[in-house]
Amino acid sequence: MKKVVDVSLPVGPIHPCFKEPCRIKCETRGERVVTTEVELGYVKKGIEKIMIGRPWQETIFLAERVCGICSVVHNTVIVEALEKISGITVPRRAGLLRLILNELDRIQSHLLANYSYCYTIEHETLGMYLLNLRETAMDSLEMMTGTRVMAAYVVPGGVREDLSADNAAKILEATYHIEAELKRFVRMFETGPMIGLRSKGIGVLSMEDALASGVVGPTARAAGLSRDARKEDPLYLEMGWHMITRTESDNYARIMLRFDELYQSLTLIRNGIAALEPGKIRNGGEMKAGRIKHTIEAPRGDLTYDIEIDSAGQVVFVSIQTPSIPNIEVATHAMMKNLASAADVTSTFISADPCIACAER
Amino acid sequence: MTVFTYLREFCRLSWLKAFFTVKTPPLTKPSYFRDFPELTGKECTHCLSCKMICPCPGAIDVVQTDGVWNPQITQGHCVRCGYCVEACPEGVLTSGDLLARKKEQGLVFAHEYIIKIDTGKCMGCGNCTTACPVNREIDPHMGAGGTSLSSDVLIRVEHGKNTVKHNERCKGCKVCMTTCPNGAIHVIRNVAALQEDR
Amino acid sequence: MSILQQLKNAVRQRSIHVCYVNTGSCNGCDIEILACLAPRYDIEQYGIYVHNNPREADVILVTGGMSPQWIDKLPDLWDRVPEPKAVVTIGNCPISGCVFNRPGKLIDPPVSKYIPVTAAVPGCPPRPSEIISAILGAADILFKDYEVHQKEKEGGGQS
Repeated sequence: MKKVVDVSLPVGPIHPCFKEPCRIKCETRGERVVTTEVELGYVKKGIEKIMIGRPWQETIFLAERVCGICSVVHNTVIVEALEKISGITVPRRAGLLRLILNELDRIQSHLLANYSYCYTIEHETLGMYLLNLRETAMDSLEMMTGTRVMAAYVVPGGVREDLSADNAAKILEATYHIEAELKRFVRMFETGPMIGLRSKGIGVLSMEDALASGVVGPTARAAGLSRDARKEDPLYLEMGWHMITRTESDNYARIMLRFDELYQSLTLIRNGIAALEPGKIRNGGEMKAGRIKHTIEAPRGDLTYDIEIDSAGQVVFVSIQTPSIPNIEVATHAMMKNLASAADVTSTFISADPCIACAER
Repeated sequence: MTVFTYLREFCRLSWLKAFFTVKTPPLTKPSYFRDFPELTGKECTHCLSCKMICPCPGAIDVVQTDGVWNPQITQGHCVRCGYCVEACPEGVLTSGDLLARKKEQGLVFAHEYIIKIDTGKCMGCGNCTTACPVNREIDPHMGAGGTSLSSDVLIRVEHGKNTVKHNERCKGCKVCMTTCPNGAIHVIRNVAALQEDR
Repeated sequence: MSILQQLKNAVRQRSIHVCYVNTGSCNGCDIEILACLAPRYDIEQYGIYVHNNPREADVILVTGGMSPQWIDKLPDLWDRVPEPKAVVTIGNCPISGCVFNRPGKLIDPPVSKYIPVTAAVPGCPPRPSEIISAILGAADILFKDYEVHQKEKEGGGQS
């Protein structure tokens, strides 16, 4: 009988490359990885179950703690879903502040994802440069909301605090600083032959696989699919948002796409600050019963909340679909299929920017 | 070629300056950071607004020491969201520059409590009416069955069913919810984030 | 106290290898630990090196409030860490379960039920500066006179 699989190689749950516990089981033949399978369930907390029967002032904190990296977007999507059910309108200034904060969050999340990738391919210098740049974005976040992570900034009918003109000027300054620094780092990434050797042509996601799977976010856009929930948001279109896609669909393309999106986010923040007009930032509003499915674009892809509330604003049913679920599946079943080397398993997995806390909740 | 890229990187003036004068910034917090809430020294009226809006179990409690009520934050439970600072009508608590911003921008959390009674489930036992601390204050001689002669009470049993008389008096302690054997009574905490006109 | 012991104390507080274990946290504390690595805070200049390998760790940083999968695995992992060892918990979850400690929860805080915890840093999540000050504050007493204490313990056991 012909031997099909040599070694079954487990990676994880505690692994130097992973920030979170998850296990990848690889079936290898020689050095070649035949199939991989991901095993989750280490950080399941049952957030959806805890949310039931709670009003918004408690659910937004639970929603934020679905994922610590993209906490702002979870906060925004649950509040926007409640607003849509209840028909609450948001003042324009508050909407713009939400956009600015979301883009700042996207900047720090993308920088962290690219840092993780650089760290995984052992290019620690560039990784540390990116991580240092991320601190600038975190400073802006802290100045705007008062805390670095878990800001609880978005509330039904508006936002928590106003952005003063001084702080807006400081954020504007930070965007120019980030852009100037980023140009150098992107050039380092683009022209580094070692990076190219470890990134180009590795972990390719074919068009058929991408179409067949529900891949979302930067992973989908790097494969040439134009999937982005922001294209239906009028405020984003007004601020000059446009779709960015790449076609190579390998590890290199995914990281470069995140770099491209960083430039776009910086532009969006600048346009948002320029469009700020004095006005109210909170409207209040009463909760009404209803059910809705609301999607917005998280740093990792489409984030959907299917939520039902009763007349008092308490959650009756909630189901969260995070972008990491399809992305992890695609990464394990399509991108890592027939990898030339077992050493590329972690870098391919990290290039899809998986967030285990999101996927398990 | 890469070597040259790195050499050029190392010859940049800002890199050299950073390399030779490297210094970790002091481990301090910026003034606008929302730290654990602290007392400002103003008088606490024991209205429990802070405790009622707190999203974390067991993070804040209002305790009496030497006859003075004061909120007390438990580290390890508090998530530093700053809701108690914003909800307090007296400005007893402060955290970062949140209190200053609240005053400057007129930020308020308006809240009300709605008592809902499921008449299908209520059997008129009167447990909730006797347990209610507001009721006890208004009518200390309340009957064991939850009937009361006073019409000023918050809730009382009428015709074998519990009836809400004065919804606005509810303090949102949810004692009635915990004492009800059938789960018929429900206290809903409605919070709205508002901004006052300046 | 012998000179050798003093030397050991001095060396141990300047070289701490850290492994962090996520037992059901939301990532918030993990990225704040990562931010400590950034050149801004530069945790490595204090001799603290994040390995993420329990086999060569001195200090285990636990984040998260014990999800069911970790209940048997964490004591197991704790046994594999070579002596001397210590546990520092980061964030609210290992102390109290934070906002997840509600009816219907899956997590089972506190972590000190399963492994001995030396120090805890509260906050949801704590700032990198708070994490660094906590670890630096604990560093000089964490492994101080370890051999002496060990001998005392053994002597106490025999008599």
